[in-house]
Amino acid sequence: MRWLPLLVLVLVVSGCGLPRDVDGSLERVRGGALRAGVTDNPPWTEVGDGEPAGAEVELVERFAAGLGTRVEWRRGSESALVTALGNGELDLVVGGFEEQSPWIEQASLTHPYADGHVWALPLGENAWQVEVERFLLALPEGEVDRLTGRP
Amino acid sequence: MRVRDRFELPPDKAALHRRAVRLEWWTIAFFAAAVALLAVTLGQSQAMKAAWIEDMLGLVPPAAFLIAARYRDRPPDARFPYGYHRSVSVAFLAGSVALLGLGGYVVHDSLTRLLAGERAPIGLVEVLGVQVWLGWVMIAVLLVTMAPAILLGRIKLKIARQLHDKVLYADAEMNRADWLTAGAAVLGVLGIGFGLWWADAAAALVIGGDIVRDGVKTTRSAVANLMDSRPQVVGGREPHPLPGRLLAAVLDHDWVADAWLRVREEGHVFVGELLVVPTGEDGLLERLEDLGRWARDFDWRVHDLVVVPVTRIERGPAEG
Repeated sequence: MRWLPLLVLVLVVSGCGLPRDVDGSLERVRGGALRAGVTDNPPWTEVGDGEPAGAEVELVERFAAGLGTRVEWRRGSESALVTALGNGELDLVVGGFEEQSPWIEQASLTHPYADGHVWALPLGENAWQVEVERFLLALPEGEVDRLTGRP
Repeated sequence: MRVRDRFELPPDKAALHRRAVRLEWWTIAFFAAAVALLAVTLGQSQAMKAAWIEDMLGLVPPAAFLIAARYRDRPPDARFPYGYHRSVSVAFLAGSVALLGLGGYVVHDSLTRLLAGERAPIGLVEVLGVQVWLGWVMIAVLLVTMAPAILLGRIKLKIARQLHDKVLYADAEMNRADWLTAGAAVLGVLGIGFGLWWADAAAALVIGGDIVRDGVKTTRSAVANLMDSRPQVVGGREPHPLPGRLLAAVLDHDWVADAWLRVREEGHVFVGELLVVPTGEDGLLERLEDLGRWARDFDWRVHDLVVVPVTRIERGPAEG
């Protein structure tokens, strides 16, 4: 086991591009489209007859623009969307979810932003998750309140 | 002849034992700190929950050792006429079962994760205002908890052999199991970083198998111990050389025509019966008492040896 520290060192040095995705979500989103699920939960998300709206919808659009890609929206119930996320049909789901959401086993929740709000991501897509979390944590102070129209 | 004799370790062994007690207190402090650290830093992750349960099981052998250390050298009393040495054997069994349980848990946990195709999400954390991938933090915590386990385990293994202390041995094995699983978890987290979702569970499965093997070995040895098997060396199944040497030395006495010895292990010490066939009856009582004292001085492990004179010894067919 004397070689173990050396092995760890080699892995750490070679691992500066970590983490990577299991299914390559980040690359696919960059090269194609961001497949986003949205469920109605004003003021975070508003799903009417037209295009989805709301603070998180706005944030997802802005995030996609930053990656140089477009968003394909899919409407549905929370459970249907989380199932689709687990099947690899979606890259993220928004709907004003909070940290203590019950389906943590089937989806990965982001680092909380704006008073414990989270987005739902597929499990194991860690490069993708880190990219999303960097975006959420970099939001300027008060930006989310301005979007939701909260005092 | 003195009955209800209190057993004391020889001075050099007693010093070793005091060192072992100190080491075990350090072990408890270390595991308690690790349990707290893991609980605080890595709350929700399943893999870290496993590491947490492992550290809690790691508290069992040192606790068993320390409890046995309080009882082992009490003099025999009316309730326990054979004394309390066996408390060490009981502690050995407790420690071994904990080791086996740990192995079983690691194997079960990693197999379920592997079969379910579970993918571990590891995102960002903010440490002192800096955003870091949580995987690096996990690896750092795991490496920090590995170092003391390696050191403690190595020192204990050495003392366990010199002291003929099998609880300490089981605990050293537990420390080895602990740093091996932590090492496996480091590789697993790195594997997850490389996008290999199965790496974590696969590494844990290999290490779990190794711990189960150790657990089975020590549990068998502990049960054999309580079944009064012939004494075995620490950490192996080979017979201990002392009973053979003692019998040969008894037969070297010129007034002993034949002799038969049966001993069992009670913790640190060996206890049993010695049958001798004397060549004559001149001063036999004194000779027998002298022989008993001589046997106790022969080695510090020989403690409670009953010397019985007989006219002849008929050996059974199964005796070698």
